[in-house]
Amino acid sequence: MSGVLLVRVWRFASTRLVIVTLAILVWGWLLLFFYSQFSEAIRQLAVQSPIFKQFTNFGSGNLFTISGAITLGTQHPLVIALIGIFAVGGAALAIAGERQAGTLEVLLARPLPRRSYLLTQLIAILAMVALLVGALLSGMAIGAVTQGLTGELDLARFPLMWLNGLLLWGAFTSFSLAVSASFDRPGPAIVLSLAFLLVNYFLEILGSFWTDAKWTQEYSLFHHFQSGEILAGKADLLDFMLLGVVLLVPLAYALWIFPRRDLAAPA
Amino acid sequence: MEGEGPVSTPPAIQTEGLTKHYGSVRALNALSIEVRTGEIFGFLGPNGAGKSTTIRTLLGYLHATSGRARVLGLDVERESVEIRRKTGYLPGGIALYGSLSGADALEYLAELQGQPATRREELCERLQLSTSDLRRRIRDYSRGMRQKLGVIQALQHDPELAILDEPTEGLDPLMQHAFYGILEDMRAAGRTIFFSSHVLPEVERVCDRVAIIRAGELMALQTVDELLARRKRKITLRWRGAAPDLSFVPGLADLQVRGDRATATLAGEVGPFVRAVASPALEDLTIEPASLEEAFLEFYADGEGPSHGPRENGSAKPSEEPR
Repeated sequence: MSGVLLVRVWRFASTRLVIVTLAILVWGWLLLFFYSQFSEAIRQLAVQSPIFKQFTNFGSGNLFTISGAITLGTQHPLVIALIGIFAVGGAALAIAGERQAGTLEVLLARPLPRRSYLLTQLIAILAMVALLVGALLSGMAIGAVTQGLTGELDLARFPLMWLNGLLLWGAFTSFSLAVSASFDRPGPAIVLSLAFLLVNYFLEILGSFWTDAKWTQEYSLFHHFQSGEILAGKADLLDFMLLGVVLLVPLAYALWIFPRRDLAAPA
Repeated sequence: MEGEGPVSTPPAIQTEGLTKHYGSVRALNALSIEVRTGEIFGFLGPNGAGKSTTIRTLLGYLHATSGRARVLGLDVERESVEIRRKTGYLPGGIALYGSLSGADALEYLAELQGQPATRREELCERLQLSTSDLRRRIRDYSRGMRQKLGVIQALQHDPELAILDEPTEGLDPLMQHAFYGILEDMRAAGRTIFFSSHVLPEVERVCDRVAIIRAGELMALQTVDELLARRKRKITLRWRGAAPDLSFVPGLADLQVRGDRATATLAGEVGPFVRAVASPALEDLTIEPASLEEAFLEFYADGEGPSHGPRENGSAKPSEEPR
């Protein structure tokens, strides 16, 4: 791993990272604020309208319980988009983007092994993802404290939630990086990485809206980030293991393919 | 040590039958060259000839289909990282991070190189890249300034071997002159320079030896002087009275006489020709100076293949004798 490269990757992303971290922190706080202020009113609406009730079950979350609200917060499209900027966009561009820009050419002219370059990028992006998941949970914890909800929450379970979230996004990062290592142009890398994210998201959301398609959720990585179950003290080790495997398999492929690839002159 | 022969310096670059295929396309075909330590070596060829493929294989960007290559005594496949530690590389049309200042980019690349940038200040001075220039973002640089920065990043750590792809592209004549001076100083310091170029006068000016490749195959590997010697010079002469007898002049061809003027081409030594025309009747004589450009174009104009080139002695390595 190259410390110089790691610092530079972080510096390049620093402004974006600060903005997104703050946005996610506010989002986490806001969700608990909404739960505290409006959950009862929403519950009344749900009782009156079965269709509305169906739409309050977004993913594996809802707005009727604090653990449901937290799960909703971690699976909301806004959060997916914000963390996806780094975990999917950043990783998909880490190699293919630098290839097309011609800057990888200059970096690999240094005594920097390709595997080292790849691992440094992975660690740099995983550290960003860790920060963002941490910011999301921190925002929720702040919201719980400021709204007087600490009695309903066991904050000691947040680190396990953080680890679960990191593994989920780590799996997407690893997949995107492997795709990036396989293409010379960022277009296909971004499309494939985004498609992988969206298909997983679609399978999770589809099952939550349509009970007949509930089985599809099992095939979604998002379904294995179960904040509600962790908060209820029912964390499933298999979820962690599965996400770990999905993180490691693309990484192993990337570490195998990237040093073997021919890097022709950028167009 | 007594009793031992002179220690021979290993070649800076050595390829043996280096071959690279892209599917059915042969980008390099059994290329065998040897670049001596401490020389400036020009690598010539038109676009698509295989120059970049060769350079990229030497630096580990590409993996050879067959054949072997060693750089500074190190194997390009197994010891690529160590090779890059000892070399400086300027890619053709270099791209640098536009958001960085010139100074930050140089510092970043020096840190990645892991060696102190001992020559940075001197190179900036010689290429007239001022402190205020270096403070500006690269995205605001002109093409020439980017190229200067590219040259500096390749040479700032004083590498044993510099591999430069079209190094003077975008440099004005004054900076080209400064760049040639840098190369000559490097050679004097025992460094090796391997550079590809389309600018033949500059190759003629600074290179010790030249390799010419076409369609991935080596056409010639000779000193510049040897290449110039094989070139046909164009001759124009004018006389009074009877035409001189030029039939016995060796190497003279394409003779065309029109009244009191004649044009011809001359290969090889000019002495016999000058002796043949030396008489009071000679009114004017022009012998165009040999240029590498002419020699280069001859390789491509007459369809001369590698089998007719300097390899005609059948050796695995190209002969370096003038033909």
